[in-house]
Amino acid sequence: MFFIIALLVVLALFRVYMILPTQGGRPKRLRRKSDVCSVAVFLGSGGHTTEALTLLSALDPKRYTHRTYIVSEGDSLSERKALQLEAQFGSTKQNYDVLIIPRARQVHQALISTPLGALQSLLACLRYITLRPLFNAKMPFADILILNGPGTSFVLCLAVYVSKFLGLHAPVIIYVETFARVNSLSLSGKLIRPLADRFILQWSTANGKDKLSPKHWLV
Amino acid sequence: MLAFLTVGSTRFDSLVSFAFGDEFLSSLRTKGFTSLVIQCGNSAFELADNPQNGEKRYLKRGGVDIEYWKFHPALDEEYRKADLIISHAGSGTILEVLRMGKPLIVVPNPTLLDNHQQELASALQTMGYLATTTVEELPAVVEHFPFQMNTFPPFDPSRFARVVDEAMGFI
Repeated sequence: MFFIIALLVVLALFRVYMILPTQGGRPKRLRRKSDVCSVAVFLGSGGHTTEALTLLSALDPKRYTHRTYIVSEGDSLSERKALQLEAQFGSTKQNYDVLIIPRARQVHQALISTPLGALQSLLACLRYITLRPLFNAKMPFADILILNGPGTSFVLCLAVYVSKFLGLHAPVIIYVETFARVNSLSLSGKLIRPLADRFILQWSTANGKDKLSPKHWLV
Repeated sequence: MLAFLTVGSTRFDSLVSFAFGDEFLSSLRTKGFTSLVIQCGNSAFELADNPQNGEKRYLKRGGVDIEYWKFHPALDEEYRKADLIISHAGSGTILEVLRMGKPLIVVPNPTLLDNHQQELASALQTMGYLATTTVEELPAVVEHFPFQMNTFPPFDPSRFARVVDEAMGFI
């Protein structure tokens, strides 16, 4: 019995090792100029939302379609800003949708109830990223997931890794550390770094080297 | 001239209270500012009848016409109208104001636990894009207006587009 459990654990770890990205690795396949990719972006409210939408505005809306905005429950401002960007793109309702997920942790939530909130948040992420695409082929999750923090980003990553673990379609994770982090990584950044397919810093000083320069700014 | 003071979606009691005070108003007046708009968010301050959401209040103090209110969905109009913007150090506000080429003084909120606003504000001050200060030192910085600032780099959408195109195999 012990041997079987140990074997399963080793196999599971090996599987996780196999699906971890190699930083700066080559894309899995090449695409033609006319191909399209669907993209999902998490809007983490406030400055995170502003930055995430600025990043999205940099993409060609004809190539990167359909677009999914993931918004925390109660964050109507982020949703409104997303709709503004879609209006700029000249989109119709078929071009995008908005998913609402519970917050991993409320701003003033007691620490003791955090695991419960995080679990609820994870279940919602699993539903949209792993389960719904599995049972409904018409509702696949995006090809790309753009993240820039905060907390819920990590929960989204975990759901993506459940899909990867099971060998299902999973998005390429692109994490852009927020412009606000000049000297160090955020907690989300530290957690997501080994999981992201592309992990991008906007300040080279965040790695503890170089002088201040705008050359890596993306927003 | 018009100055616009904003605290974003947070509350910043000490900055908003200070903005209604004589010391700050007279520093504005010295520099020729006759109007001040204050977006006070959820801050608590001395005026007992704080405005309700969506409501604008007016006041004249120290020779300055003050308009104050809690929130507005589009602050870009306010930025455009203003000759000087004084703000909490939120990254979204900083980017938006500097891209409009407006002079900006930021006051990082010292009561925030995880104070990375200070980090960004100091970096951008070192690079000569804005001035950063504390609530108490604000009048002294206002008195340096207009300041010489470096031109803030414009948004370059091709950078992130390249990152994503490359990651997705569009070559």
